[in-house]
This record gives sequence, structure tokens and C-alpha cells, in this order.
Amino acid sequence: MSLTGLVAAVLADDGTAHWPARVPARLETVLASMPLPARAGVRAAARGLDAYARARTGRGLAALTGPERESVLAGLVARPALLPLLDVLKVPLLLAAGTERMLEDGLPARGPARTDPPLDCVSAHAWPARSTADAVVIGSGAGGATAARTLARAGLAVVVLEEGQHHSTESFGRRPPLERFAELYRDGGATVAVGRVPLLLPVGRAVGGTTVVNSGTCYRTPDHVLARWSTDFGFGLAEGFARHLDEAERTLRVATQPLDVLGANGKIALAGADRLGWQAAPLRRNAPGCRGSCQCVVGCPTGAKQSVQLSVLPDACAAGARIVTGARVERVLIDADRPGGPRAAGARVHREDGGFEILAPLVVIAAGALGSPPLLRRSSLGRHPRLGRNLSVHPATSVAGRFAEPVTAWEGVLQSVGVEEHHDEGVLIEATATPPGMGSFVLPGLGGELRRELEGADRLATLGAMIADLPGGRVLGRDRTLLRYDLHRRDAGRLLRAVRAMGELLFAAGAEEVLTGIPATPRVRSMTDLDEVLAATSARQLHLSAYHPTGTVAAGADPQRFPADGAGRLRGVHGVLVADASVLPGCPEVNPQLSIMAAALAITEAHLER
Amino acid sequence: MSTRPVPGASGTTPARGTVFREAMLGTLRLDEEDRTRPIRLDLTVSADRVMRPTGTTDARATGRIRIAGWADDPDAHGELEISPLARRRIRYRIAFTADGRRVTLDGWKSVTPRSPVASMTVLPYTLYEDGAPIGTGTLRFPLTTQLVPFLASFRFPRRENPGALLAPRWQGERGRTEVWYTTLTDPATGSGLWLHHELTAPADGSEPYAHGWAAVFPKDGPVRHARFGPAPWTATEAGFRADGITVEPGRLTGEADGGTLRWKLTERPMAEPLFTFPRWSWRRPLLPAAQMLPAARALYDGTFTHDDTTLTLTAAPGASARIYGHGNARRWAWLHADLGGGDVLEIVAAVSMRPGLRRLPPLVFLRLRRGGRTWPRRSERAAVGWAGAGRFRAAIGLPTWTVTGRTGLRRIRVEVTQPADRILALDYTDPDGAHAICRNTERADAHVLLERWWFGGWRTEREWTLDGTAHAEVGTR
Repeated sequence: MSLTGLVAAVLADDGTAHWPARVPARLETVLASMPLPARAGVRAAARGLDAYARARTGRGLAALTGPERESVLAGLVARPALLPLLDVLKVPLLLAAGTERMLEDGLPARGPARTDPPLDCVSAHAWPARSTADAVVIGSGAGGATAARTLARAGLAVVVLEEGQHHSTESFGRRPPLERFAELYRDGGATVAVGRVPLLLPVGRAVGGTTVVNSGTCYRTPDHVLARWSTDFGFGLAEGFARHLDEAERTLRVATQPLDVLGANGKIALAGADRLGWQAAPLRRNAPGCRGSCQCVVGCPTGAKQSVQLSVLPDACAAGARIVTGARVERVLIDADRPGGPRAAGARVHREDGGFEILAPLVVIAAGALGSPPLLRRSSLGRHPRLGRNLSVHPATSVAGRFAEPVTAWEGVLQSVGVEEHHDEGVLIEATATPPGMGSFVLPGLGGELRRELEGADRLATLGAMIADLPGGRVLGRDRTLLRYDLHRRDAGRLLRAVRAMGELLFAAGAEEVLTGIPATPRVRSMTDLDEVLAATSARQLHLSAYHPTGTVAAGADPQRFPADGAGRLRGVHGVLVADASVLPGCPEVNPQLSIMAAALAITEAHLER
Repeated sequence: MSTRPVPGASGTTPARGTVFREAMLGTLRLDEEDRTRPIRLDLTVSADRVMRPTGTTDARATGRIRIAGWADDPDAHGELEISPLARRRIRYRIAFTADGRRVTLDGWKSVTPRSPVASMTVLPYTLYEDGAPIGTGTLRFPLTTQLVPFLASFRFPRRENPGALLAPRWQGERGRTEVWYTTLTDPATGSGLWLHHELTAPADGSEPYAHGWAAVFPKDGPVRHARFGPAPWTATEAGFRADGITVEPGRLTGEADGGTLRWKLTERPMAEPLFTFPRWSWRRPLLPAAQMLPAARALYDGTFTHDDTTLTLTAAPGASARIYGHGNARRWAWLHADLGGGDVLEIVAAVSMRPGLRRLPPLVFLRLRRGGRTWPRRSERAAVGWAGAGRFRAAIGLPTWTVTGRTGLRRIRVEVTQPADRILALDYTDPDGAHAICRNTERADAHVLLERWWFGGWRTEREWTLDGTAHAEVGTR
């Protein structure tokens, strides 16, 4: 059915602007990239809304006038139980609306893009049906790229299998953010973890993995985390992480973000922290020469962000590694009858003509914390009872502050400033702004109210906070990833404290009001109000998203608890290394790209030294 | 009865192997071309063990590969990894020459229960030159035309180690004789060679002794021979060793007549063992004697010096044979004929010394190894027929003796001529002291006619004529 009525009602399309008329078509393309349940859900909601309008007025939404639509929506908003559902419906709609509105204003002028260093990429369709290699690396993200480079430099013939496609910096600069969004994310960005509190968990899918779409923030693994990994879990390689973190930082050219292009959003965070006396600073990022395009999450259009496809994979290809794109691995091939136990023999990749196979004595699993457990299950390697469990994510929520002066948060660095005042309590606040509609912050209201928020979005500054969680998730599924995540009571408290801290920061920076993201009480104008609201709020009412899934094929000493041994080798089979976020035995408590790269370096080097 | 382990049936070597033939058709696209070429692969696959469907069997493959307009290599060879269930893979790696380039075909069938037939018959592959891929393609096993020949080609031949069959059989019994003898033809000069090594354990219980002789049959000159021994017998695991003369797997060395005859030869077995007498009679010595060839064909390299002449042998065809028993027959004829192309004819026709048996006509043990298969299937068939009816017959005489016989739809006639001027007559002594005379030549002529019955008449199937390259002897008392 047509989404026109839904869009017209929610965005209060009164015909005064051109862009809302184009939103339904854009929404259709957004939905097309999403998994079936999400698609069906949005369409069902649209039908429900239409049916409600018919019941109230005898006509569908599309046939109503503006004021009639407002009155229909007002009837819905009066029911508090419906608010969270309506907010979910707003997410894809705002994504489409934000894009069309930005296109209306004209795409920002772009400077000349840098030329990407060369990669040896081959499409899966052009790859021979039968081939051999010394090592197959499944996944080309932070872990896979690092593993491929280490192995290729050691002289091994390496083939990297990547489900996504290769996107060049030039192609990022050419197209609007939303078109890239649908291609660069698994499930169109709508990966959802079900549980007591549903979480949106976006994961990248491209040559370069999630590093193509992350914010570029590079934290070294904190020492206390490394100590816990090595002493409590027996992940012995963590002891030598310092050297590998240095190497990863060198490769990614990590440096503190200069203030020149930081953007107003970050400066507000710095100012607020300064007034409160909190510890805050521009983040260390892997984007030398960043021009503040604020499009990290859909691929850097200037080539400044050193995602692994610009930094690590070119080195790997120079050493002889080859990348096969569009290659979804069906299963790892296992020789079950080898003397000494089963041994990995290569990988089988899906293709319409029956697939292709690569034989290799070493298989490196780097399909990400959400992809690796289903892959191992498909390969009959999923027998360990803890495989897929121990999923840590960084549950996150965001808060916006309205300022008197325009902030234009989307001009500047996307994730610019880290506020570490509460990091000891497991809360890390990062000033994060996104292109319109792409952030995890959902503007409040429906109809005219939402439209006014959209029009005034340039005066909003947004902060995000992620918390160090207790591993409460599971990756289920064999052919498709299914996520279950139950937020621990302790972590729910942390989230509410994080909202309070962000509100405090925004008020200190001079915000007129703070948008809480809580559907029932979306706006507060003082800390007292905020405390009152939070006292009556549970974490379930927050808009939660989650980032940085880790730990689903954890490495550790205890064979009962950890599917991989202390050197990152999968238990129960020879010749399989796990070198991605899933191998990290516990929550890294910071943005994990450096930790993943260091782990992949340590694991592959340990393998080569054997 | 001997209780020693049967050669070739020890724990380390599987008793039987697997041999089958497979033909596949398909296409090849070379990277440098924009068209596909038809390709055909015919393979003979042999494994050292009976194929295990649930495990992994490594096998060798030889055969012919034809690629339209690019390659026709009858000497393609490589290896197979046959593991349809354990590894779900049947991998082919075949090296061949195409257009002067050394190329390797590497591919595997990927077996899946979802499409068992397609996955067992489709072989995608990649071609490599110096490790770099140069083309890809797919071979298919054509079920309609090839399934029956494929299934019918399966054989599970015994695996025998030619070296193990050289080990001495004698274990101290009285009245036994054991022989290692080698005959060969030098293709360069046409000369024949005969090396005879014998262990005799006299029936009276006196000390066993080793002795023998070497003989050369030059094409244009008199036969020259020299005896060695008798020398005390010293047991050895490998074969025969006495008086500085050795027979061991792959090697024959020695000298006789004060060094005027010297030989130093290497032996390359080129075929499976050939049991001229029934196999059971070699394993359990129930017959008066039995003869067999550890390898039906062998090639010899090295030197043989007699007087001032040195023969330098390069891939000289011949065979080594073994005899173990109570002594020589009353009357016998023997032929070893290398028919070329890997085919071999071996005949022993003999009359026993045993009372009663000596009244019988000669028992003919005839083995024709053709295309890797031996006819008649059982040597008893030729020797005794159906209680005597239909047995093969021999007319032993000199200079010409003949053997004729028929089984199934085939019949054979062999005529051997040993001209008097090429003969070496030697005196044999049995363990019981009896004497026999053997008239031997390694430059005999032979004519072999193999016919097949076909709707009302006999048609010639093959005919071989050997001119001075057959090895034969006739023994009398």
C-alpha cells in the first residue's frame, strides 16, 4: 500500500515545501533494504494508522486535510502506550525525511576526494569455482584486514572473503548519504536485538567492515580491561597488547582531533564540561586531515578517515592478498577424518551458479561478533555451549539540547569530543552528531510538532553516551543472525545516570531545553525537571541503540567457558583462528577498533610463530 | 607346511588395492581467450588400498587429456583424493603438457547430499601454469554413456611387493631347491642374458649349498657361460647372497669364472606379480614345485661384461622368476615372451617326477598378461581343464615345441623354436642327486596366435611373432 498518507500525516505535509512529497518514494527505498520483519512492521503500522483514520473520519489518511490529520494524530498521541511504537515508526521516516530535506537545501560542496590506495578486489562472480590459498580470511573488517595483512606479509597466499562490496571514497562523495546507508549496513541498519529492552544494533557490511561506517574514534584498550582479560579470563595475548596497539595506531595514523573542524556540537560539549570542571577532550581519531563532513557513518566522502580499506587492506594487497567481494561464506570446509582430529580445509562461498570453494589449511574467522557464531554453526563448528553467548554491546542512548543560536551539528566532526568524567562508573559520553535522521536520537512529536522540530533541528546539539555492560546477549541462528539481549539491572541504572549527566552537560553549556528522548516527557527545561523525569522513568522508555558487539566466540583459558583458546584458536578443530570482535573475552569499555586490530595482530602473529 | 607370513599380506601393506577407469567431458576457458574449448579426460585411477567410502583414499591417476586445438597428452598423470563422505570432496590434480607448456589441472567435486548426482559428477577445475591460474572450466561425468563402463572397470587387485617376493622360502627342510633366475634381452645388441641363482638342500640332509651360473647369448657369436659356487648358504632377508653374488630387490650383482663374467644390474619392476602356477601353490607348497614372477615385466639397466666385451644395458626388457619345490620336473618346457606394449606370455609345461603323476601328459600352466589382465583367469583351467577335459596341451620337443589351448571364446597356439646354435645345454642336479639336462636359449623365436570365436568361426584377435627375443628352455632326463 502507499505510504503517502502516513508520511503526509506524520510530517504534517501542508504543501508549503516540496521535499515532503518526495519522502514516500525515499521511504520505499529505505524499506527495501531492511529485513522482512522490519518492512512488514512499518507497512502494518501504516495500514493500522490508515484504518484508524477511516474509523474516525470515514476516509483514509491520504484523503484528509491537514487539520483533520492533526486531529487523528492527536487521538493517537493521547494514548501513552502507543508512543514507543510510533517512535519506532518514525525512525525510517525521519531517515527518509532528513535526506530529502538535506537534498532540498543542496548537498554540501565537496572538495576533491583523495585517491584511494589500490586494492586487489575481485567480484565473487569472476572468481574461479575452485582455487587454493594458504589462508582464507572471512571478513574484511578491523580484525580480518589486520589478520590478512599479517599473514600476507609473512608470505602466505591470502584470500579475503567479504560479503559486502567495495566502495571508493569517490563513490562516497558522489552520492547522498542515505543511498550509501542502505548499502553499507547489514539489514539496512535495522539489526535489532530482541529482549526486555529492544536495541538497534547497526553493523557495517562492506570491504572494510564496520570501520567504513564507524565514527573513527580510536581508544586504546584500557589497562584495567587488559588486566581482566589476561588474569581473569586467561586470554594470555592481552599481556602483549601495548605493542600491537602501537602498531594499530601507527597504521591508522591516530591523532587527537584538531579543533579547527571540530564543529559547534563538540565545542558545546567542551564548553559544558569546562564549566562543570569535567574531564573532556577532543577524541583521538584515525582521520588525519578530517574536513568535518560529518558523514563518518555512511563512509567518509573525503578519504580522511583511515578505515581499514584505506590503511590496512592496501598493505595486505601489496603483500599479495586478494579480496573477493560479494562473497557470503556458506560454510567453513572441514576435513573430519584428519589424523589428530578435524581440520579446516577452506571455505565454500554462496553464488547463484552453485558457489565456489577455496581450499586452504588456515581459515581465519573475522565475520564480526554477530556474523561469526552463525557461520561456525553453519560449518558444524558450533558445538561449544558458550558459542554465541557472552555478547557484550555498548548500550547507548542520546540526548539533545536546544540552544538559542544555530548549532548546525552536522557541520563538523561527527564524533568529536569524549567526556570521560564518568568513565570509571562505566559511562562514556561522546559528542556525536549525524546527518539529519541518521542518528539514534529520535525527534519528539508527530504531525505539526514533529515538523517544527525538523525545521528547528539546526539549533540542536546532540550527545551520546555508551555504557560498559555486563555480557547479557546471545547470538542465535544459523543462516540468519538472531540477537537476544537482556539489559542488566545495573546497566539500566547506568543508562539513566548517563542521561542525567548528558543533560547536566547540556544545561551547563547553555541549553534552553533538553530533549530527553523519553516519549512521555520529551522536553525538560532544568536539571530539577530532568531529575524528576528520570526518577519516574525506566531504561525501557529510553531510545536505546547499541554498538560494538563483542565476545561471542570468546578466547580464554577455560575450555568449558571459552570457545577459543588463549591464543585465539577455535577449540575442537585445527586450523581455525578467530580474529575479530567476537574473540574479545569481555566488554572493552571503549570504541573497540584498536582493540580488535590488536587482538587480530596478536592472534595471527602467535599463529605464525608456532 | 610353511607358517611364514604370506608375502604382500603383512600388516603394513593393504592386501588389495583399487583400480578403476573414468572418463569425463567438459569445457575449458583459457584466461587469454574469449571462447571455450571442449576437453576430455580419460583416467585410470589406482589406489594402494580398497577404497573406503566413509574415509579418505589417496590414489594415483594416469591417463590421457585432450583439449581441442591445444593439448593431447597421453601421459597425463597426477593424484586423486577420494573422500565423498568424510571430506565431501573428490579432488583431482593432473599434470600434463599442452602446447609445450607444463600445466596442472586442479579441481574437485564437492559432494553434497542435497544434489548427490550433480555433485558427484560435476568437476569444476582451474588450470595452473607455474602456480598461476591460466584458465577455468568444468568437466562432467556423462552418466548415460559412462556409468556402466565406469562401474565395470572397478578392480580390487592384490597388492604385492615385488621385493618381498624375492625373500627366500626355504626354512631348513631337506630335499628342496629354490631358484632366483633372471632373463633379459638387450635391445641394442640383440643379446640375451641369463642369470641363475640356486639354493639346493640335498635330500640326504647334508649341508645346503648355493650355486648358479651366468650366460650370455650374443647375436653373432657362440654362447658364453660360467658357473659359480657351490658356496655355503647364508640366509638373508632380501633374496640370494652367496660367494659375492647377490639378488636383492632392484639389484643384481656378481661375477663368475674369476671375474671374466661380471654383472651389475638394476631392476625396475614394471608390472604386477604373475603367478604361473596357481597362487595357492606358491603360498602353500603342495605341488612338487611352483614358479612365479615377482614382476611380470621388468626393465634392467647396468653393465654385463664377458671376456673383453661389455654390454651396457638401458631399459632392457626381461623378468626375474622364482622357483621353489622339491626339484626339477621329469620333462619340462618354459617360455617367457615379452610381447611388447606391456603384454607378457609365460608358459611352464611340465611332467612331474612323482610316481603316478609322471605318467600324465605335461601340465600346461599358461599365463597371458594382456592390457593388465591375465588370461586364463585361473591357471588351473589351462593345466587340468575340467577333470582333464579341455586342458591345454603341449608337444615338447626340439628345436620346436608347441602349446595349444582353448577356454571360453578364445584359443591360443604358441610355437617356440630354439635353434640348436643358440642353445646352452646345462646339467641340473636335483636335491636327491638325480640329474636332468636343460637346453636353454634367451634368443628363441616364438609365434603366438590368439583367436576369438565369433558367430561361426575363429577370427584372429592378436598375433605376435618374436624373432630371437623369446626366452625358452626345454628340460629332459
